[in-house]
Amino acid sequence: MIQLQQTKSLDKHYLEELGFVWHTDSDESSYIADRLVVISEEEAEAYYEAGNRLYEMFIEAGEHIIKNNLFHEIGIPFNLVELIKASWESEVHWHLYGRFDLAGGIDNQPIKLLEFNADTPTALFETAIIQWAILKKNSLNEEGQFNGLYEALIDNFKRLVTLEESVDAFEERYEGWKFLFTSIKGDTEEEQTVRLLQHIATEAGYETQFAYIDEIEFGKESGIVYEGETYELWFKLIPWEDIALEEPDLAMILKDIVLDQKAIIFNPAYTLMFQSKGMLKILWDLFPNDPLLLESSFEPLKNQKQVAKPIFGREGGSVSILNADGTTEAKIEGGYANHKMVYQAYTKLPTDTEGSSYQAGLFYVYESCALGFRKGGLILDNMSKFVGHIVR
Amino acid sequence: MKHIKKLSDYAVATGVGVLLAAGLSGCQQKSEESQQSSEIKKGAFVIIEETAPGKYKIKDEFPSDETRIVLKQLDGTEKVLTQEEMALLMKEEDAKIENGTSNLTKPKEEQVASQGMSLGETILASAAGAMVGAWIGNKLFGNQNYQNNRQAGYKSPSTYSKSANSFNKNANSAKSTPKGKSGFFGGGKSTSSSSSSFGG
Repeated sequence: MIQLQQTKSLDKHYLEELGFVWHTDSDESSYIADRLVVISEEEAEAYYEAGNRLYEMFIEAGEHIIKNNLFHEIGIPFNLVELIKASWESEVHWHLYGRFDLAGGIDNQPIKLLEFNADTPTALFETAIIQWAILKKNSLNEEGQFNGLYEALIDNFKRLVTLEESVDAFEERYEGWKFLFTSIKGDTEEEQTVRLLQHIATEAGYETQFAYIDEIEFGKESGIVYEGETYELWFKLIPWEDIALEEPDLAMILKDIVLDQKAIIFNPAYTLMFQSKGMLKILWDLFPNDPLLLESSFEPLKNQKQVAKPIFGREGGSVSILNADGTTEAKIEGGYANHKMVYQAYTKLPTDTEGSSYQAGLFYVYESCALGFRKGGLILDNMSKFVGHIVR
Repeated sequence: MKHIKKLSDYAVATGVGVLLAAGLSGCQQKSEESQQSSEIKKGAFVIIEETAPGKYKIKDEFPSDETRIVLKQLDGTEKVLTQEEMALLMKEEDAKIENGTSNLTKPKEEQVASQGMSLGETILASAAGAMVGAWIGNKLFGNQNYQNNRQAGYKSPSTYSKSANSFNKNANSAKSTPKGKSGFFGGGKSTSSSSSSFGG
């Protein structure tokens, strides 16, 4: 059973002042749990090591996909292939941040990769700021958290310029390149996530601006322009596959912009390979029976309980749990049913006394750097709650 | 936890402390203004950095509902100035303006090889100056040297122009690059991703 610690919750007014306005779910329940998951130092250390090793495996799998032209197999839209290859080849296309979703790691259960949100991860605010504020508010030991997310992002923003582990040369090498941060109008959570990243980039030393995507001009010759200013660096919290499928003209212009070196885009296009759940199958091909992986296939697995998930689904949409006899145990409806499906062996998530399931979110920013949890039912969907943690 | 960096190691030295004190409301206002150009924010959120002992520069500033000044001191610590501290500083600056020793009102050529401004002068040069120093009034804000010297309070010229733009309600948004295409995702999101997600 998971060990939990009761805390006083943060008041909503304070959360809103911080900019964290999505504190309440549509059923009026609080999105932030008032309990913390208690983990040991050894468990924190194991998450750290697992994230670093998984990332190396993803790099190897990415190389494998490019070498063997497996883009179609993992569901990459054809109009992004050239861009993905270009971004993979040049070091300037630095991966800013990603989040592994993991089963286990606590309660004596082994860590298993569920998926890698490498392109447009959220839960940044909750992990970096809110769970720390809970420790502070409850006068708990502030050192008791595996949470270096804010600092890791400052350093990794600087690495976009230094392109090496050390960030010391940032101020010397940064030539005032302007950094534009973008989300789609109308989603507060995404916008605030982007604004937090913008805030951190400003802290790192960049000249930054925010703009909604529909206000930006994109041109093969002119590059990325907002209110008459040209931006050399662009962060977008918009999935690459949405750009490819819904705005193919934009995908084409962005390809030209990157190939002509008018601007650098974050997260880079190659992170879409990592984001594809087709990668789970590729990883299993390359590292069969690796302890961090669950068996995965493009065909239903034989005689075992498994989870069917669409290759580019989000928030549990169109995910179902299938029993060994092929019957459906649980299913979340969603708009992704037409996507290619990946079948991943089922693993039971750790649970609490009330039967809620817990899944770890491990941020990777140049290295594993922060942990947070999410709890919900059998399939974690958009009604699941964020749960902070404390290391004892 | 030998590999694991903990947040508390640097929270005071970096922006997490600022965020907890002031939130994102500062940055937030910037875009709200571009949408609702008629609404003028009354306050300013200003980050001032000590660059040498007793010398200060404006690192960043945003419009906000309430005026708050965060001071990053040479030793790496950060504090939010209280009303009392601001009032005291303003009183000192008022006296300097009266007797002509303020760097803000002296013409450039008369300034002693300037290594930066005092804390009070820096606050008055910032966007918060008009708020916290309102009672000093025209003595300062009508002074042409003050207008010229304000820029010296900023850490870099780009901080000044960025700031001036974000406070300029009439900033003209004339589009200038005919070759670009805009309006992508203008209809908002098609695959609706609702709140509270661990997300994509």
